[in-house]
Amino acid sequence: MTGAASSPTISGERALAIAHADAEKAYRDLSIYRIQLALESDGWHIDYQLKDARLKGGGPHYVIDATTGAMASKRYEQ
Amino acid sequence: MLTAPTIAELLTSPVVVQALADAWRDSEPTDPVRRHEEGGWIYMDTASGTLTTRRSALGGQAVLDLTAPPIVVGSVVVGTFHTHPNPTSDGWDPGPSIDDVQSAWLLGVPCLIQSDDGVYTTGPDSRRGGLAGGPGFPP
Repeated sequence: MTGAASSPTISGERALAIAHADAEKAYRDLSIYRIQLALESDGWHIDYQLKDARLKGGGPHYVIDATTGAMASKRYEQ
Repeated sequence: MLTAPTIAELLTSPVVVQALADAWRDSEPTDPVRRHEEGGWIYMDTASGTLTTRRSALGGQAVLDLTAPPIVVGSVVVGTFHTHPNPTSDGWDPGPSIDDVQSAWLLGVPCLIQSDDGVYTTGPDSRRGGLAGGPGFPP
């Protein structure tokens, strides 16, 4: 985890829960992904990347506002 | 002397065009529950230059394993192809994912992707090291 924003209202755990709820709906099986969580100046960045780097495919990528918990952006890779 | 085909040459090959079309159809892109990735490998016969394809086992909704191409005697792998069947209208990114880009460079051959809005490519422009290096992916 990297610290850029100060004193986020939304914890990393809460941000991850928000992202995970959306990711489960879109992708169903999330067991193949490694999850990376980082606090940046624009919010929590939550990235799902394949555990096996040789596979074809993709996962979801989110930015969660660290103050409101709103989903600032999301990208569904495949 | 034969050279490994470039992405542009692969995209104009009727064999490759048909393989992409077949994979797209088999991906069931219009079925929100059953849609899944399909794909395979593109081979070149090192004596004749003929291109052929082989299909992999079907993949998941957003993942496909192309790491173990079957051996085709006298041929080498010169590319991979796969589908992105999830619709752009539902917010899915049609182009290469970060993982697609990474795996294409790791495996060392061009990666062709059929999406609902066209064909995308990533990875090296042609097989790394040319046609040498054995029947699978290049060393």
